Amino acid sequence: MNQKTLQNCGKCGLCLNACPVYKILKEEQASPRARLQLIKAFEEDRLLSSPLLKEIISKCLMCGSCTGACPSGIDHYSQFMEMRQKMAKDHVENPMVKSMIWLLSQEYRTRLGAKMAKLGQKLVPERFKEKYGLGNIPLKRLPEFNITPFREAAEETISHGSKPAGTIVYFTGCATNYLYDDTGFSTLRILEHMGYRVIIPKKQTCCGIPLLFHGAQKAAKNNIVTNINALDLDAADTILVDCATCGTALKHEYPLFTETLGLDKTKVEKIASKVEDIMSFIQKRFHLLSFTKDSIEKVKATYHIPCHLKNSFGSHEQAQTLLNRLPCIVYSPADNADQCCGGGGSFFYEYPEISKQMVTKKIEGVKATLADIWLTDCPVCRMNLAGNMEEKNELQVVHPVKVIAPFLN
Amino acid sequence: MLDIKIKNQLIEVVGQNRYLDRKEELACFSYDAFIKEAMPDAVVFVQTADEVARILKVASEHKVPVTGRGAGTSVCGAPIPVKNGIVLCFSKMDKIIEINTADRYIVVEPGVVNADIQNALAPSGFFYPPDPGSMNTSTIGGNIAQNAGGPRCLKYGVTMDYILGMEVVLASGKIVKFGSKNIKDVTGYKLCSLFCGSEGTLGLVTQVILKVLPIPETVKTMLVTFGKLDHTARAVSDIIGSGILPAAMELMDKMTVNAIEDSSHLGLDRKAEGTLLIEIDGVKEACEKEMDNIIERVKKQGALDIQYAQTPEDRERLWTARRSAYGVFAKLAPDILSEDVTVPVSKVPVMIKRINKIGERHGLKIGVLAHAGDGNMHPLIPADRNNKEEWVRVEKAFDEIFHAAAELDGTLSGEHGIGLAKSDYLPLVMNKDTIELMSRIKHAVDPDNILNPGKFV
Ligand SMILES: Cc1cc2nc3c(=O)[nH]c(=O)nc-3n(C[C@H](O)[C@H](O)[C@H](O)COP(=O)(O)OP(=O)(O)OC[C@H]3O[C@@H](n4cnc5c(N)ncnc54)[C@H](O)[C@@H]3O)c2cc1C
Ligand code: SF4
Ligand code: SF4
Repeated sequence: MNQKTLQNCGKCGLCLNACPVYKILKEEQASPRARLQLIKAFEEDRLLSSPLLKEIISKCLMCGSCTGACPSGIDHYSQFMEMRQKMAKDHVENPMVKSMIWLLSQEYRTRLGAKMAKLGQKLVPERFKEKYGLGNIPLKRLPEFNITPFREAAEETISHGSKPAGTIVYFTGCATNYLYDDTGFSTLRILEHMGYRVIIPKKQTCCGIPLLFHGAQKAAKNNIVTNINALDLDAADTILVDCATCGTALKHEYPLFTETLGLDKTKVEKIASKVEDIMSFIQKRFHLLSFTKDSIEKVKATYHIPCHLKNSFGSHEQAQTLLNRLPCIVYSPADNADQCCGGGGSFFYEYPEISKQMVTKKIEGVKATLADIWLTDCPVCRMNLAGNMEEKNELQVVHPVKVIAPFLN
Repeated sequence: MLDIKIKNQLIEVVGQNRYLDRKEELACFSYDAFIKEAMPDAVVFVQTADEVARILKVASEHKVPVTGRGAGTSVCGAPIPVKNGIVLCFSKMDKIIEINTADRYIVVEPGVVNADIQNALAPSGFFYPPDPGSMNTSTIGGNIAQNAGGPRCLKYGVTMDYILGMEVVLASGKIVKFGSKNIKDVTGYKLCSLFCGSEGTLGLVTQVILKVLPIPETVKTMLVTFGKLDHTARAVSDIIGSGILPAAMELMDKMTVNAIEDSSHLGLDRKAEGTLLIEIDGVKEACEKEMDNIIERVKKQGALDIQYAQTPEDRERLWTARRSAYGVFAKLAPDILSEDVTVPVSKVPVMIKRINKIGERHGLKIGVLAHAGDGNMHPLIPADRNNKEEWVRVEKAFDEIFHAAAELDGTLSGEHGIGLAKSDYLPLVMNKDTIELMSRIKHAVDPDNILNPGKFV
């Protein structure tokens, strides 16, 4: 462990109120500063590994907001990630998490799991759907699985004309593939409109981040190597992600774990340098879009900024500029647009009580905007927000590409 | 470890969920932003005055030390439980009870974060002036216990000047209340000023009435650079002496400006010995007049360059340098020590020069920030506590800085407090009888010395 970065925490406490978990619990032991101090105590053998230590380290959304507030430039994310690996080695995960690791570590299992779940969704009687769920989210409010996984439904290479504007390699993540193919098809529509050639490598798989959060390094390595091989295409000008969290994996996590996992450094760096999130991608190339001339009835839209978009990509300003420029919506920002929704990968089902309080606050903030539609470019946030909305004032939650694609010429 | 009997009594008060005593959790309450650490035996989170009273009754019955804690941002070790015992944490006791802008007061619980008060007041056009650098995290209880200040306290005064009344639980568990919702109140001793700044050694604050003010209509900000430190100081004296009272007057010395430039290239003048950030606020016309007046004066005193903020973004940009200073120094070494000796305004340049000399003598990089208008200096020393040899030099440097301040009619702390950091130096600025008077007061309200023991009294 890097002693230097560890000790650089001056314990000033400025990260406390940046941390969504601390803000809810108001307990030092739930703060970024405490996690760092405990890691340090563990590294210096003043504190032994224990299930409680593991829990304190895991009670974290891995959102990176603490880093933004830290005057000492601590890289919390890397330190937490390394500590999670150590804790996972020493102490067993709960069965829920274990089965998730099993599922995500092999593409065919994920595919099968999705199919089974789809079947399951049909078979479960309505009254059970009310009762059971995932974390805070009742079963009936979980998204329906795609009928056919997106990557099976879409062509692997899509060319438009002989002189494409460039070549995009599209990393779809699990969510677009299995849950939200509307995001995938809308993205394709936009890229086609802009005149790009698109490659959706069939071999890509789960980015591996959820696995790494839970210390499943070996399983994660398999996924990561598969992805590196699938994405490292010389033809690619840009590797596009529609989810900032998957993007964070490609941009930060893979480089971070290059040494530990023995990855191909050159390839990893090349991929990292090409990754772009879809919001800033479109914003930067806005001139390539032409919207229909028909009079469009504008809908009032609001936006949830995914933590990883803000903290890893720093694209939240770009994203909002884009929303302000769209002719099809009136963008009405919520006061708490940049507050974490409490989704945090698997946080929402590991710590449902904390997550629930966070998402409830989010929903209150959004109600005040009187928006008809809630946009967000992270599928976990989307699932969490949509899943926690009360039935009566239902806001539709969708990926921003969904309000762009239909209005293109 | 607490006796099981005491533990059960405490759990009876706050419940299992708000009582901690496992090592991993206790470790999180062993520190603040100071260097030292000490483990408590138990941590309790309180939510009402009644709970605090009951806990203190248990503690005084068994003579167990109790140390209050807000957010743990103290830089002098004030909330570190050096004598172990119970850490009584106020972070969950964080309700804003009443906002009354018509009568210009608010009533809050001690765990409310300073910035949350500002956010709650802003929609009605009011603010709470004390603005410590830690305001996004630190609690009102901690601010009161340390009598916190900040940049705009030059014009507006410190925490003490905003306390109208409080509710305090004494070591015995008795709940006392003094002050009122009235700006004018000379009923009995002004006890608020005794408890404010007492660093949790006299009683635990469970509710406060704070004075609030309307947000000024206009703010004007400028950044002025001077070739010579003396010119900077003359400009400060000239402005203050002329009757203008800026909301803030922040000085950065050459070392600080260069450290900031090394890391973030803001385009500051590296050769300037003094860089002054001046902010005035008030009615628009008055601000404009004062601004012209200030410009005239700084020019007369030899200002090399003056930048004005035209927009809120400009203002942010000008403040960026000042705000980033702490972080810049914090990144230079594993530890950062921030001091806050204070000297009369006219002695600021002498003090800065002495600090520079002390730094040179001990081979340390010391940057100096100062709230120049009120003489409150912040020498920042990046260091590594594991480097024994360097640490000895650091301690010597601090020793000399305290002596220098005392010689210049200054004082040990302008806002951070004494805590563990400076208790040995009290005799520099207080005679024996005065220190004894404090001990007597302490003994009268806390005869068993259970409240935050091991600190300056
Ligand atoms: C980066 C940084 C910048 C800072 N800038 C400033 C600044 O500009 N100005 C300034 O004045 N200080 C500053 N400080 C110091 C610190 O933030 C203040 O002293 C602050 O008031 C402490 O508040 P807290 O809630 O963190 O209290 P803590 O650190 O938790 O406790 C401080 C003291 O208050 C006592 N206490 C807490 N709650 C209560 C209560 N309810 N009743 C009785 N006693 C109680 C504790 O026992 C302890 O003695 C800064 C600190 C940092 C790390
Ligand atoms: S990553 Fe997010 S949840 Fe975790 S400590 Fe940092 S701010 Fe808190
Ligand atoms: S903000 Fe940075 S230096 Fe301060 S306590 Fe948090 S991690 Fe440590």
